[in-house]
Amino acid sequence: MSNQGILVCGEIAEGKLAPITLELLGIGRKLANDLGQELNILLMGSGIGNLAQEAIAFGADKVHVADNALLQEYNSDAYTAVAAKLCQKISPDIVLLGQTDGGRDLAPRLAGRLGGGLAMDCLELSIDPSTKLLVQTRPVFGGNANARIVSKAARPQMATIRSKTMAPAVRDDSRKGQVIPVEDIDASTVKVKVLERVKEKTEGVKLEDAEVVVSGGRGIGNAQNFQVLRDLANLLNGAVGATRAACEEGWIPMTHQVGQTGKIVSPKLYIAVALSGAMQHIAGCSGSKCVIAVNKDGGANIFKIATYGIVGDYKEVIPALSQKLKELLGK
Amino acid sequence: MHIIVCVKQIPDPEVPPAKFKIDPDTKKVMPPPGLPPVISVFDERAVELACRIKEKNPGTKITAITMGPGKVSDVVKHALAMGADEGIVLQDKAFEDSDSFGNAHILAKAIQKIGSYDLILCGRQAADWDIGQTGSILAETLGIPVVTVAKDIEVAGDKIKVSRVMEDGYEVVEAPLPCVVTVSNEVGLPRLPSGMGIIQAARKQVPAWTAADIGADPAKIGPAAAHSEITSLFIPTRDTTCEVITADTLAEAAVKLALKLRETKVV
Amino acid sequence: MAHREIFWNISHEYIMYVLSFIAVVFVAYAIYRHYKMWRMGKGDERSKNMGSRVWAFVKTGFADGLGHRRFLREPYPGIMHLLIFWGCVILLLAAAVDAITHYLVIPLEGSTYLWFSLVVDIAGILVLIGVILAITRRYIQKPERLNTFLDDGVILSLIAIVIITGYMIEGLRLAATEVNTNPDWALWSPVGLVFTKKTLFGGLSHDTILTLHSVLWWFHAVLVNGTIIYVALSYSKLQHIVISPLNAFFRNLGPVGAPAPIDMETAEVLGVGEIKDFTWKQLLDGDACTNCGRCQDVCPAWASGKPLSPRKLTQDIKTQWQKVANPKSNPPESLPPLIGGAIAEDEIWACTTCAACQQACPVFIEHIVKIIDMRRNLTMMQSKMPENIQLMLRNMQTRGHPWVGAQTLRLRGDWTSGLGLNTLAEDSNVDMLLWVGCTAALSDRNVEVTLALVRVLKAAGVSFGILGEDEPCCGDPARRAGYEIQFQTSVEQNIALLQGYNVKNIVATCPHCYNTFKNEYPKFGGSFNVVHHTQLIADLLKQDKIKLTCDLRSLATYHDPCYLGRYNSIYSEPRNILHAIPQLKLKEMERSHSKSFCCGGGGTHMWFEQQIGTKVNDIRTDEALKTNAEIVATACPYCLLMLEEAIQGKDLQQPLKAKDIAELVDQAMEKSA
Ligand SMILES: Cc1cc2nc3c(=O)[nH]c(=O)nc-3n(C[C@H](O)[C@H](O)[C@H](O)COP(=O)(O)OP(=O)(O)OC[C@H]3O[C@@H](n4cnc5c(N)ncnc54)[C@H](O)[C@@H]3O)c2cc1C
Ligand code: SF4
Ligand code: SF4
Repeated sequence: MSNQGILVCGEIAEGKLAPITLELLGIGRKLANDLGQELNILLMGSGIGNLAQEAIAFGADKVHVADNALLQEYNSDAYTAVAAKLCQKISPDIVLLGQTDGGRDLAPRLAGRLGGGLAMDCLELSIDPSTKLLVQTRPVFGGNANARIVSKAARPQMATIRSKTMAPAVRDDSRKGQVIPVEDIDASTVKVKVLERVKEKTEGVKLEDAEVVVSGGRGIGNAQNFQVLRDLANLLNGAVGATRAACEEGWIPMTHQVGQTGKIVSPKLYIAVALSGAMQHIAGCSGSKCVIAVNKDGGANIFKIATYGIVGDYKEVIPALSQKLKELLGK
Repeated sequence: MHIIVCVKQIPDPEVPPAKFKIDPDTKKVMPPPGLPPVISVFDERAVELACRIKEKNPGTKITAITMGPGKVSDVVKHALAMGADEGIVLQDKAFEDSDSFGNAHILAKAIQKIGSYDLILCGRQAADWDIGQTGSILAETLGIPVVTVAKDIEVAGDKIKVSRVMEDGYEVVEAPLPCVVTVSNEVGLPRLPSGMGIIQAARKQVPAWTAADIGADPAKIGPAAAHSEITSLFIPTRDTTCEVITADTLAEAAVKLALKLRETKVV
Repeated sequence: MAHREIFWNISHEYIMYVLSFIAVVFVAYAIYRHYKMWRMGKGDERSKNMGSRVWAFVKTGFADGLGHRRFLREPYPGIMHLLIFWGCVILLLAAAVDAITHYLVIPLEGSTYLWFSLVVDIAGILVLIGVILAITRRYIQKPERLNTFLDDGVILSLIAIVIITGYMIEGLRLAATEVNTNPDWALWSPVGLVFTKKTLFGGLSHDTILTLHSVLWWFHAVLVNGTIIYVALSYSKLQHIVISPLNAFFRNLGPVGAPAPIDMETAEVLGVGEIKDFTWKQLLDGDACTNCGRCQDVCPAWASGKPLSPRKLTQDIKTQWQKVANPKSNPPESLPPLIGGAIAEDEIWACTTCAACQQACPVFIEHIVKIIDMRRNLTMMQSKMPENIQLMLRNMQTRGHPWVGAQTLRLRGDWTSGLGLNTLAEDSNVDMLLWVGCTAALSDRNVEVTLALVRVLKAAGVSFGILGEDEPCCGDPARRAGYEIQFQTSVEQNIALLQGYNVKNIVATCPHCYNTFKNEYPKFGGSFNVVHHTQLIADLLKQDKIKLTCDLRSLATYHDPCYLGRYNSIYSEPRNILHAIPQLKLKEMERSHSKSFCCGGGGTHMWFEQQIGTKVNDIRTDEALKTNAEIVATACPYCLLMLEEAIQGKDLQQPLKAKDIAELVDQAMEKSA
């Protein structure tokens, strides 16, 4: 077999290995062990310093370091060029990336350039014991189904993994590895230039685009109490929604109304608090992947579409939920 | 300026989860009867963005191309009604069951046949299989730059400024033309085709090109040429009924819920 | 024998003819000017079928014209107008009689003359009372709906002065003649008598009386002709004397609120974007409007604080039209656009198409179609509309129904599961098609009604089929939103579908579907025999096919859905059903039947909300609450949702439930164990 080894494209955030990098190293190590191959990592950035050692501690056998001012921030052309060149040099069997802003952009370009077989946004990766092929499980049809995918012939086998779906690697400072610098990159390959990056505050997450929506209904009782929902939403980088009844009470501006005559949202997580789940409301949020209902009335309609529910006063439930999630998310 | 927009027809993603059916043997999705297919949401936004560019840059021409079996000309007609000037359908038995590489090859060949172009727009992913690769591979095949997950494009001479959606905001990049841009849903609500648009679209001829017409390489298309294949398709176990979480106190129930959410990777 | 000399004490009477001639010239000019202005509009099929128009005009002319049927729905302004109208008509006839007797030398004498004098005298008094009522109302009571301009004061004063000078002239004539010669004749002119020598003009010499009489006579003559010229030259509201009957003549004889189809192949402009896109009849409407405000008083949009008043809309269109017609003083580039200028977009979207305005308008002005025409322009030419309307229309286009998002919860055919009903595809050999409609098939609450209705129909042994998952939208929401292209596409497909199954009879549960099928499909070649479920149930009850034996023991009120009531005059069937339910008492709301107040859900308002002012369904629910009823019954899926929502929003001591009549019948039906 000509292709050998596993290559992980690491990401650096604020001078550290990003959480996704640790997750990639975690799964990469596991696959490498299953196949009995080496685990490589490519680190691209500027002033990477001792991060190569970090990567080794987290399980990499070889660290390829591309340290260049051009690579300071993610740049599609530059990153693709560097990664492609490395792949051509070391011919990995498997290339893993994160399903992140960068990885999502880089992976298909790399696949296109190398002619590999790529599956994006994988939830699970494993090695088929008999064929030794990488089996990639990814959601399709908006999460309504999952597909298992393999690449029989195309190499490298490539996958991006969804963040927080795989266990991060465990640090072991005693590990040894090799650091290999990547030779200078050709600045002329960079055609697309980044002009500016704008961070939008989490409060500014648009209701329609939010991945988490916390909505309140008439049961919230007053405008102040919406703060409890806002806190939870902020914690989860989400947005606050409301039923028409709550908007009409004037507790929250009409622009937050979810439903038939309001906004249509389809977040990953929809937390419905003290709202009954009228059809006109549900129509605006039924595309949500997971719905949590908190309502004192166990017979409320919202429980019919909810994945999880708690029957009781939200005033006791939501603060406790926020508290625990804060702890779990390490915020 | 000539913009080519690639659009795809997909089964209507709006179905009650309980009605979503697959055939595990053929690994295909079986839409409920009576639900007509629709244009992929991201592709429709690509058309919208093209129309916005055209409004700001008079003289812009938009060509919508689609590939697929059956009455896919409907989605081209939809793009025409929204404001595209010309439409092309790529249809051939040989095209069917191609993967992203095959599709990119077919699109590249068709685009080369069209000839001149400045900007190619695709949806960031097709809202059925959610693969999200075709645009980038197309760019690599054509050897031109690509900018992904765009929410806005501003044309400035022979360059464009693209706002890309990021997890915590957005970035603005500058790309030379020609290039490929993949479009995200943050573009906003696509326009409702105007009455005149629909009338004019109905009158327009949409040619259908076959593999031979565009000179597609048979070795690069179809299932045999696919780089990867689906070995199984299944519906993940999902509780259709609500799991009501109980505990001695509500606060404890909340803690249990938080753990559950973490465990199932919802957060 | 009793008589009087025409032109008594008047010489050079030809001058009067000169004056009259001048007035006639001005009137002719005014008519020409108006005609030219009307011709600014497009053609309208109202100019066809003159025969039936004349007949209709004559037929209803007695009740609506002479009898003031529409006016008298409001006693004060109704009587006020009736007095002025009839007074003036009599005075005009009297003038005509004078002319006839004078020139044809048919003597008007004896008791005929005396009665004539009396009637004319009384007519003047009627006018004066009317004018006083009008002045009191406009300047003292000042109801909100009246907008007062200089013209209103001018014309009321002119009328009053004309009448009063008329009496003075009469009085002076009597003083110089009859009082002295035949005092018993003078008694037949009682008002004129007030002005005779003995009273007001007492002590004047004979010569003074003669001079005064002749001066006043000429003043009166000049005034009358002057008034005519003023009215002809200005845009005075008195023009309505001519234009309103004209408008009534050209009024809509077809279904209520049905916009004209658009020929998509040839149309260059879709809908109305500027004045010249209106038809001449729509422009004539503007001329006919007297700014009386009756329409505004009954408009739910206005009542709930939305920016729409049908009165203002009509007047604003008229003002814009006059400006466009007069480019010299209003250069086109300085004019605001019709939509978004003269008429705000919010006004156009505020209308629920409830038809209360049209029902109230005494001069048959049609507001709804103008509004829909402007919506057509907005949606089909300018692509401008509220976001939720856009979502709704997109949903209709791609998914064939207006309920955005509903499809993630249930599919159209889901309600049929387990009922063992046959679709027409399975068996088309049935008496009728049960057309469920989008709302009753997709919205949980309304599905309950559908199921109740199915139980009723089954119990009555009705042979019916359904379309199930293949049932499309009738197209109504697209049409009311002005997206005619989608409507016509739906209509074409639906007619083909129904004719394919050879459908003859349809029972519809939704008044909007019912209205569309019954009144709007025929224009596209689809004629079906359509009934609403209340009509069918009422009929089944009459035939004793259903027995209502269960005692509901409750007080109910009935909310007339606009598209059943005002659009289709179905008022009695729903009530007959309610009366047939044992122990169900019916108490009407203050506004019911043709005066019923909208639920707020029509004209696309089911799918978007203008977040301005209060809510129409709240107002209506308060009216229902006033009756102390426990049930507010209705017969429309939109009304049901709107009423239910408003009820939920209120903290009620006593529970009020919104129910469809079909549900009540189902509840009251004899249950076989
Ligand atoms: C044409 C039309 C369009 C509409 N469009 C929309 C729309 O776009 N969006 C929308 O939301 N609605 C819409 N509605 C309104 C909709 O029908 C419902 O009336 C509304 O959604 C109800 O809001 P709610 O659930 O907040 O209130 P309710 O139905 O009153 O429910 C309040 C819930 O809170 C619970 N509760 C109370 N106190 C507590 C507590 N302390 N802890 C926990 N639970 C508590 C109660 O048990 C109850 O279930 C529309 C209605 C119509 C007619
Ligand atoms: S139809 Fe109804 S809502 Fe529309 S203007 Fe007339 S009264 Fe007002
Ligand atoms: S439209 Fe009719 S009801 Fe309304 S103000 Fe004019 S005349 Fe009166």
